Amino acid sequence: MSTDVHTLIGPWVLDAVDDDERRLVDEHLAACVSCAQEAAELREAVWRLSDVTLAEPPAALRERVLAEVRRTRQEAPAATEPDAAPRPARRRPRLRLPRLHFPRLRLAVGAAALAAVAAFAGIFAAWTVMRPEEPLESERMIAVLEAPDAEVAYQEADGGGRVTVVASESLDDAVVVVSGLAAVDDDRSYQVWLVDEGGQESAGVMDAGDSSATMLIEGLGDTDLIGVTEEPAGGSTTPTLPMVADVALPA
Amino acid sequence: MFDTGAGARREPHLAAVAATAAASPEALLHRTALGEDEAFASLYDLMAPRVYGLCVRVLRDPAQAEEVAQEVLVEVWRTATRFDERRGSASAWITTIAHRRAVDRVRSAQAAGDRERRAAASGAEPEYDTVAETAASRLEHRQVRRCLKTLTELQRQAVTLAYYGGHTYRQVATLLETAVPTVKTRIRDGLAKLRDCLEVAR
Repeated sequence: MSTDVHTLIGPWVLDAVDDDERRLVDEHLAACVSCAQEAAELREAVWRLSDVTLAEPPAALRERVLAEVRRTRQEAPAATEPDAAPRPARRRPRLRLPRLHFPRLRLAVGAAALAAVAAFAGIFAAWTVMRPEEPLESERMIAVLEAPDAEVAYQEADGGGRVTVVASESLDDAVVVVSGLAAVDDDRSYQVWLVDEGGQESAGVMDAGDSSATMLIEGLGDTDLIGVTEEPAGGSTTPTLPMVADVALPA
Repeated sequence: MFDTGAGARREPHLAAVAATAAASPEALLHRTALGEDEAFASLYDLMAPRVYGLCVRVLRDPAQAEEVAQEVLVEVWRTATRFDERRGSASAWITTIAHRRAVDRVRSAQAAGDRERRAAASGAEPEYDTVAETAASRLEHRQVRRCLKTLTELQRQAVTLAYYGGHTYRQVATLLETAVPTVKTRIRDGLAKLRDCLEVAR
């Protein structure tokens, strides 16, 4: 059924669906980030079709509209689109990339998905995850990147570089891409932490002297933040503050 | 058509275009959300030709188009507080409201049964409306037309019948005597091409 809904995105963008189908697609888009991205992109193209139909409205229309507006109360701000069907109580994506900056994840399959994140994160170094002896880990990463509920968050790190997190609530996993942090000597390591209300635990220590890495995090649980700190080579048991980046995850 | 009278009529448009550079639709919409009447008036000047023109095209009835355009523009004022820039541009947001309202009107008229006789006529591509056209719009106009030409015949027909004609994809399938799943696919492929073409053109 969901494949069926997905094929309705084109007609939906053109308002060429009936009311029931419109609701189905609205719900689908609320749950599927990459689909919502596709729909948003198509919509940005479709409105341009009205370039061809511009027409000067009667002058009286302006007066009537402005008069009606003067006696019309504006709605209170809300989180949902004015004309969207009521969405399931599910969370809406809290963190988003700036619009259109994430290259069409929907087209990405397998290694291509990783490449998409790589391009986004600005990583040009070799992929440790692509090493053949770690097929399971790379498969799980791909599963996260392709999850319908995958959400992306990132933060520019203090001192340069960026930490990008792609998290899937349904899989309870995340992929963390650390790219181009400030260079450190061979006796220092960057360390990644999972932080929740109760404290933090280490998610992994990057190789000494490295400032870029990709990591699969299994079992996000109640993690609120993914933090990165600079530590002595090999890592520490507690983070050395301040963190160079702390990326908030969808709650 | 372009005598001195027509030239004089174009001036307000040039003013609107100049205002675009100063204030983007997004900025105007944000100020509108704060209840600023003046910002809304500027937004009206910027977007009303688009809203009204699209309503005329879909409804093919200037009187109804005026009614719907009024509803749409008041709705823009009323719900400006809910516009979320992260979900798309202000122009897309406003045009989407206009198209949906126009299509809703078409569908309710269809339900009332008086639509049939127009069905055949409304599918064709829009006529070139030289009177309404402004110097500023001509370039955009050409871009969209050029991009529509990158679509296959079936893709283009399916997209334009749905958008300008206000037909559902099932009705489009009937009009084009094509299988419903094929029409769905052609619409999506066609829109993807359009998107790529317009992005490149920017």
